Amino acid sequence: MSGFSDIIGKIFDMTAFGSLIEEPSFLLMYLIAFGLLYLGIVKKYEPLLLVPIAFGVLIANFPGGDMGVIQANSEGLVPLADGTMVNIWDMPLHQIAHEFGIMNFIYYALIKTGLLPPIIFMGVGAMTDFGPMLRNLKLAIFGAAAQFGIFAVLFAALALGFTPQEAGSLGIIGGADGPTAIFTTIKLAPHLLGPIAIAAYSYMALVPVIIPLVVKLTCSKKELLINMKEQDKLYPDKMEIKNMRAVKIIFPIAVTTIVAIFVPTAVPLIGMLMFGNLIKEIGSDTSRLFQVASNGLMNAATIFLGLSVGATMTADAFLNAQTLGIVVGGFLAFALSITSGILMVKLFNLFSKKKINPLIGATGLSAVPMASRVCNGISTKYDPKNHVLNYCMASNISGVIGSAVAAGVLISFLG
Amino acid sequence: MVAGMLTVFAILLIVIYGSRMLITIINKIAPEEAKASPRAASGEVSAKARAVLEAAVRELTAGKGHITNITKIQ
Repeated sequence: MSGFSDIIGKIFDMTAFGSLIEEPSFLLMYLIAFGLLYLGIVKKYEPLLLVPIAFGVLIANFPGGDMGVIQANSEGLVPLADGTMVNIWDMPLHQIAHEFGIMNFIYYALIKTGLLPPIIFMGVGAMTDFGPMLRNLKLAIFGAAAQFGIFAVLFAALALGFTPQEAGSLGIIGGADGPTAIFTTIKLAPHLLGPIAIAAYSYMALVPVIIPLVVKLTCSKKELLINMKEQDKLYPDKMEIKNMRAVKIIFPIAVTTIVAIFVPTAVPLIGMLMFGNLIKEIGSDTSRLFQVASNGLMNAATIFLGLSVGATMTADAFLNAQTLGIVVGGFLAFALSITSGILMVKLFNLFSKKKINPLIGATGLSAVPMASRVCNGISTKYDPKNHVLNYCMASNISGVIGSAVAAGVLISFLG
Repeated sequence: MVAGMLTVFAILLIVIYGSRMLITIINKIAPEEAKASPRAASGEVSAKARAVLEAAVRELTAGKGHITNITKIQ
C-alpha cells in the first residue's frame, strides 16, 4: 500500500500541481497570457507579435518546464541549481542551454547580444515604402514631435526614483517601436528588458484602442473633418518628383550617412532599416536579398524574439512594484507621444493657411502601418470620402526614423 | 529632455531638407525614369516583370512550379 502511495506521490511531484499550490502567482501569469492570446487571436491586435509573446509568457510559467528566462543581476550574476552564483557572460552557450534550458540559450544568444532588433529593423525597412513620406516631406516633421513622450516620461521616471538608464529605457516605450525599445533597454538597463519589451509590444498591439482614446480627448469633429486632398488642391506643393525610383534608391543611402555622422549610436537600427529598404528599392537585381530580409529572416527573428521576450515575463520578474511602474509609465509615454504629435499639428494650423488633419500628428509615433490604418479608420468614420492613409504614412514612417534617432540619443547620453 | 528633443527635431529637419535637395538635384540631372528596354517593348518581358511573375508562381505553387516561357499577348 505504501508502494502505491509512493507512486501516487511521485506522479504528483512530476506534475506542476504542487508548485502551483505553493505559488499561486503563476495562475495570474496564465491569466495574463490568456488575455494577450485573446487580444492577438480574437481581436487581431498585432497577432504576429502578440501570439508568440503571449505563448512565451505561458510556457515560461510552468514550474519545472525550464522555459522561463533567468535575468542576470546588474553584475551579470545568475544562480545555478546548487545556489552558487556565476557570471552568465563567462558561460558558453551550450552550458547556458544545459543549466537553464533552451529558452535561455535563445535569449542570451539572440536577444541579449542585441542581434535580433537590427535584423527585424532590416525586415521592416524591406517592407517599408518611403514614397508617401517623400511626397509629403513637410508632414515628416510630426514624426519628431511625437517623440516628446519619450523624453517627458524619462523626466518623470527620474523624479520617481528610477536610475537615468532605467528612466531612458522606460521612456523609449513612447517611441511605439518594439525593436527600438529592446535595443535601447539592452544597452541601458538590461535587467528591465522583460517588462519593458512586454509593455512596448502590448501598447503597440493596443494602438487601435489608445489612438482613438487620445484623439477623442484632444480633437474636435471640425478638425477631424479636415480633408487633406482638398487642402492639397487649394495649396498645391510646388515640389514635383520626376524620378521617384532614383530618389528612393539614393534616400536610404543618404539618410544612413547623415544619421551615422550625427548620431552614430543609432546606426545599428537606422543602418539596418535603410539597408533593408535599399535592397527593396533596387529591384530585381537584389530581389533575392529582399525576399530573405522581408520574409524568411524577418519571420524567424519575430518568432524567436516574441517567444523569448514573452519568456522573460516570469511570475518573479513581473509581479512587483517596479514592473507596475513600467506598465503605467509606458502607457503615459505612449499617450503623451500621440498627444504631442496632435498638439504640434494644432500649433502648425494656427500659423498656416493650409490646414492639416490632426490625425497626421497622432501617427508620428512608429507602429507602422497600424497607426496609419487606425487613423484612416477614424477619419473615414467622420467622412467616408476623407482618406488620410497616405498622409498619415508620411509622419508614421518618419516616426520610425525619429524613434531610432531618439534611441541613439538616449544611448549616447545615458549609456 | 530639451537636448534630446532638439536633436531628434534637428536630425529630421536635416533629413527633410536633405531629401528636398536630393529631389531637386535628381529632377535636374535625371528627370525621367529609365525607359523600358527595347527588348521589353518588342514583346519580351523585362527582368523586373519576370522576377515578379516568378515570385508569384513560387508563392502560388509553394515552390514547386517554375516558369519556362513567357509570351506577351499583343
